[in-house]
Amino acid sequence: MIVRRPRTAALLAAFALSSALACKLEPDTPELHYSLNRAEIAKNEDLASDPAAQVQLEGALEFLFGTPKAPAFLALPEWLEEDPPFYPSFWGEDHVRADEAAWGRLVESNKKAYREQLEAIRTGNLERVERPRYADDLWARWEEVRGGLPEGGPDAAYSDPFSGEEGTWRQSAAAVFENYYPKLATSAEFYRQQCYHCHGASGGGDGSTSRFLEPRPRDYRRGIFKFTALKGKAHPRHEDLFHVLTEGIYTTAMPSFRRFTDAQLHGLVDYVRLLAVRGEVEGLMASDYTPETGIDFEGLKANYELVMGKWRAAKDAVITYAGPVPEITPERIEHGRTLFMTPGDKGGANCVSCHGTSGRGDGASAFEIDPVTKLQRRVKDDWGNEIQVRDLTRGVFRFGRRPIDLYRRIYAGINGTPMPEHIGFTVTEGGQPHPMSEEDIWDLAFFVRTLGVQAAHEIPHEAGGH
Amino acid sequence: MNSLKHALLRLVVTLLLVAVPVLGVWTWVKAEDWHLWFPETVSTYGAGIDHLFYVIMWMVTVTFVLTEGALVWFVLRYSGRGERRAVYTHGNHTLEMVWTAIPALLLIFVAFSQMKAWSTVKMNFPEDGPYTVEHPLMEVYGSQFDWRVRYPDAQGNFEGADVIEVPYDIYVPEDTPVVLRLKSRDVLHSFFVPKFRLKQDAVPGMNIPVWFEAEEAGDYDLICAELCGWGHYKMAGRVHVLPKDEFERWLADQRAALYRTE
Amino acid sequence: MTSHAHTAEARPLGIDPPGTVHVSHEHHELGFIRKYIFSTDHKVIGIQFLFTGLVMLLMGGLMAMAIRWQLAFPWKPMPLLGSVLFPETGGVVTPEGYTMLFTMHGTLMIFFVIIPLLTGTFGNYLIPLMIGAPDMAFPRLNMMGYWFWWPGIACILISFGAEGGGPAAGWTSYPPLSTIQSAAPGSHWGQNWWLLSLTFVGVSSMMGAVNYVTTIVKMRAPGMTLFRMPLSIWGLMIAALLQLFALPVLTAASFMQLFDRVFHAGFFTPTGLIINNANPETMGAAAGGHPLLWQHLFWFYSHPAVYILVLPAMGFVSDILAVHGRKPIFGYKPMVFSIAGIAGLGFIVWGHHMFMSGMNPAVGLVFMTATIMIALPSAVKVFNWLGTLWGARIHLTSAMLFAIAFVSMFIIGGLSGIWMASTPVDIYIHDTYIVVAHFHYVVFAGSMMAIFGAIYHWFPKMFGRAMSERLGVIHFVGTFVFTNGVFYMMHQLGLAGLMRRTADPYAYETYAHLQPVNQIISYCAFALLAWQAFFVINFFGSMLWGKRVGRNPWNANSLEWEAPSPPGHGNFDKQLAVYHGPYEYSVPGAARDFVPQTQRTLS
Repeated sequence: MIVRRPRTAALLAAFALSSALACKLEPDTPELHYSLNRAEIAKNEDLASDPAAQVQLEGALEFLFGTPKAPAFLALPEWLEEDPPFYPSFWGEDHVRADEAAWGRLVESNKKAYREQLEAIRTGNLERVERPRYADDLWARWEEVRGGLPEGGPDAAYSDPFSGEEGTWRQSAAAVFENYYPKLATSAEFYRQQCYHCHGASGGGDGSTSRFLEPRPRDYRRGIFKFTALKGKAHPRHEDLFHVLTEGIYTTAMPSFRRFTDAQLHGLVDYVRLLAVRGEVEGLMASDYTPETGIDFEGLKANYELVMGKWRAAKDAVITYAGPVPEITPERIEHGRTLFMTPGDKGGANCVSCHGTSGRGDGASAFEIDPVTKLQRRVKDDWGNEIQVRDLTRGVFRFGRRPIDLYRRIYAGINGTPMPEHIGFTVTEGGQPHPMSEEDIWDLAFFVRTLGVQAAHEIPHEAGGH
Repeated sequence: MNSLKHALLRLVVTLLLVAVPVLGVWTWVKAEDWHLWFPETVSTYGAGIDHLFYVIMWMVTVTFVLTEGALVWFVLRYSGRGERRAVYTHGNHTLEMVWTAIPALLLIFVAFSQMKAWSTVKMNFPEDGPYTVEHPLMEVYGSQFDWRVRYPDAQGNFEGADVIEVPYDIYVPEDTPVVLRLKSRDVLHSFFVPKFRLKQDAVPGMNIPVWFEAEEAGDYDLICAELCGWGHYKMAGRVHVLPKDEFERWLADQRAALYRTE
Repeated sequence: MTSHAHTAEARPLGIDPPGTVHVSHEHHELGFIRKYIFSTDHKVIGIQFLFTGLVMLLMGGLMAMAIRWQLAFPWKPMPLLGSVLFPETGGVVTPEGYTMLFTMHGTLMIFFVIIPLLTGTFGNYLIPLMIGAPDMAFPRLNMMGYWFWWPGIACILISFGAEGGGPAAGWTSYPPLSTIQSAAPGSHWGQNWWLLSLTFVGVSSMMGAVNYVTTIVKMRAPGMTLFRMPLSIWGLMIAALLQLFALPVLTAASFMQLFDRVFHAGFFTPTGLIINNANPETMGAAAGGHPLLWQHLFWFYSHPAVYILVLPAMGFVSDILAVHGRKPIFGYKPMVFSIAGIAGLGFIVWGHHMFMSGMNPAVGLVFMTATIMIALPSAVKVFNWLGTLWGARIHLTSAMLFAIAFVSMFIIGGLSGIWMASTPVDIYIHDTYIVVAHFHYVVFAGSMMAIFGAIYHWFPKMFGRAMSERLGVIHFVGTFVFTNGVFYMMHQLGLAGLMRRTADPYAYETYAHLQPVNQIISYCAFALLAWQAFFVINFFGSMLWGKRVGRNPWNANSLEWEAPSPPGHGNFDKQLAVYHGPYEYSVPGAARDFVPQTQRTLS
């Protein structure tokens, strides 16, 4: 009967056909691409005007660091000859393994996250081992171990294909999940889902959401990270970056990412570090470029080694203090207040010049005249963004609010901002100039702690609470 | 159209309409098997709320089946062709009274049966436990896009240098009525712990007391339940219910950790 | 046109004969622009609303497709639409873009689709025709009402391209997210355009509402008492009264929010906020306001608005069931009182949107009781529809199929509302997908199906041609199946904890297992949109090539079927007098199974 109505038949057929086609709608994962750092390239006129060289630069960076789909650090042969090898022992899995406490937490966190799979392995219901999310490399490992199930059953002897250790198959199977540490490629995909829309594909802090955020997301490509426990403007340690992921940065759009496992966060740290190293090498190559040398292998290798060396040196730069936090006495707080409030030209620590006499971040040096517009604006950080000098009365301390955190912050300053290092800063007390000591730093920290007595948001307690 | 086509149409329509109550009920019956059901509750008032849910569910199911069933039956029965005329009636007063009065009574019953559970959760705050509205265990505040919790210092102050401030992880003791003060730093958020059957919007400018008592130790999802911006979807937290002594140890550890130097 | 020969008994006291009120009959030929573009003829205006509304339906539907894509395949590039909406990421929905999608979807569907299609299209088209008037009481105001809608449309379209993107604070636009510019990307200029748009739409609606109420009160044909009006008119009139009393509150609230945003007024901004690293007060904004004030003002309008979204639809369904079932409405007066009851109660239940909001919980109990009671008139209506179908002689036309489906779907939507009305249960349910399921059942599976039914039913009158019944049935079957495929499982998903307005609900590990069901729902949604092709082809094809019909192709009783199809200017070509209600079908002893309202005796 329908054939007598050709239009209707045609419509229905078209619909059926398009439905059938649409059913293979499962989309592919999109590919990100690393882009060149336009700002750095623009600084070098020769490079900016030579598109061929830019392509070469992209190729060189891909040679060293891969693509977002297949990222990797190129390991130079001489590094591998060192003992322990320069790479990868200061990175990634080996580094975390070497820290027993951190590795223990990672295993605990994996056990929690994959408890259903581990339970299935324990009871032998291997079909119930479900594929976890964001962990393709984990699943690949599992499938390999699964395929190697010995004939004697799960408790038969089995040689772990990854560690080479002898044990039972069940132990190896459990170890796949318990000891899971993501590869860079998995972390790159994880980054695409969680971080890319703010931090951008190349870590330039230029994702789609970034332009609405204040402060802007971090541009990793300078290799500068504000919040570390290190002195001397050193590159961050693995622990510092991990700390940012677990704590978030309060009052910014960077939340705490504790909902992910430790392993995933460690993997993200590795990937962020790759983006940072890549960005730094790119910056050095861009500034070194001359039309005569071009993008050459020797220069590439030298810059790569230079950048990696800086990162490696991080662990040596930790600010430590021998002993517990000193006793907080009113005299020390008063001393801190004096150091804080006395301007530099009168021999103080000069905090008041930026932070203001009330600590609200409204000191004169918090603002400057823009050379172009000639208007007053807030000071800028190294990334060119205007920043607010911290209002210390709000109890907001982005690196942490413990005494040791404030100590470190005052000691080392904040990388990339006008907040300077204070250790060794010359102050004059009782007519005697001397460099600030660790104890002076503590006094400042104790004083600053007394300022942050207001809650981060001022809401009076209403009676009745409604 | 000819009678074959009409019969086909009648059949298709009846099937579609009958699929509504049949599939409608079947998918509810199977929902729990498909993991599409609410999780077990671990709070003291959760069971009461779940009970109300089920009472309504049964009433709704019976009504659903009866009305949809009547609809299907009438459509099937009265869509035949033929010369008969419809029944000429403008209504039936008695029937109107009956089907107004009975639902009214049922609805009034539903309304009144809810009141106790609501006042338990939102109005009757614990008064003789260790935590009260004036002295809550913690302050929780939502911000774009993080949950942060603040435990008072040893003197009970929520402001000052010695408060414990933690993102994401909220620790509470088991079998203790916990009161917290809910705040927001910026925009509206909502504190939703599905397993406690607890939800309360965090309103900037307000301090809203919230209470619960968890009967089982464990880790529970905390979800933001009010649009707060682009990051609303990932504004997560975890509520960790610890046995009482473990909780005290944890809190003491936190206080001690404040003064460590590593 | 000017002799009014009525016998005394056909003209009850107080009803003016037609022509007494202002209507001026122009006998010169109008040009194309005055006839079809800037027309004061209610029928043309009604059809203008219809076309524009259907286009906006497509737009709102595309937003929904993007939402469904993201929920099925989070962070994967979306074909077609993706490159248009999100070119920067290669078609991947961005987190801030997602907030814009559901905001625009809701806004477009409520203010630019359902309300205009129900009240704008059918209110305009049907009211004068069904009550026997030559046109509306204020034809020029009517025209202005339509054209005032266009600035609203322009503003909402401009907001898409605003810096920061379209408004992103939800169609509910709660402050401070909506009032503080830096709180959301869409809260830059996008939100201002949104507020302006709503103002225009509100003014347009109020113009229409004034017209409808006045026309119905003053311009009924002789003998057309209030209780002889078809239920469509009752639904439209009461919806118009809701508009009149509730809209000013929304307009005022929108201005307050606009003042907060543009002049930093501080109605809704509390002190001490830190948003995007800044305190708005340090940037000159006043504070000391309260976010809950907006919620009260907004919902004071928006709750009656949802009854505006449904009452006219209920009216149309009643009429279609009677006509195509050849049977009087069961319980006409209870139906009228139920409509009035729903509307009246609808003014005192707005707080049920705010149970968790932080308002005084005791107030929540009051709202809960009123909300649960509002289920009663809705239930009475459902029973009366069932009573209408009992013993009927059902003709399974496309219009009838959609009207029957409305009853079936409204039962689902109404019953799911009882859980939400129960405040303690709402603790769990609020802001989950159960709420989404509920309102989509009443507004889409309900009102939109009623709109389709109404189009199929009154198309012959509007265009003088018949729509294809075959295509109509095909359209119905697919729409019914896919609508339920999309929205039914949302109940269970919500119960499992799927939250509203989340770009990636699987960010919580506990909800990762909900993705497969969401994928099925999305496939059904894509199919649902595609299936509307049958309607579009039927609609336009029939308009151009459909078989011509006479005045009364359905053998119906109400007055609009006395006029030619389509009616000319002035609508009726004879004097009208009304002798009874519009539901005299299958009267025993009558010559035919219908007795038009203008027929003096019943036999």
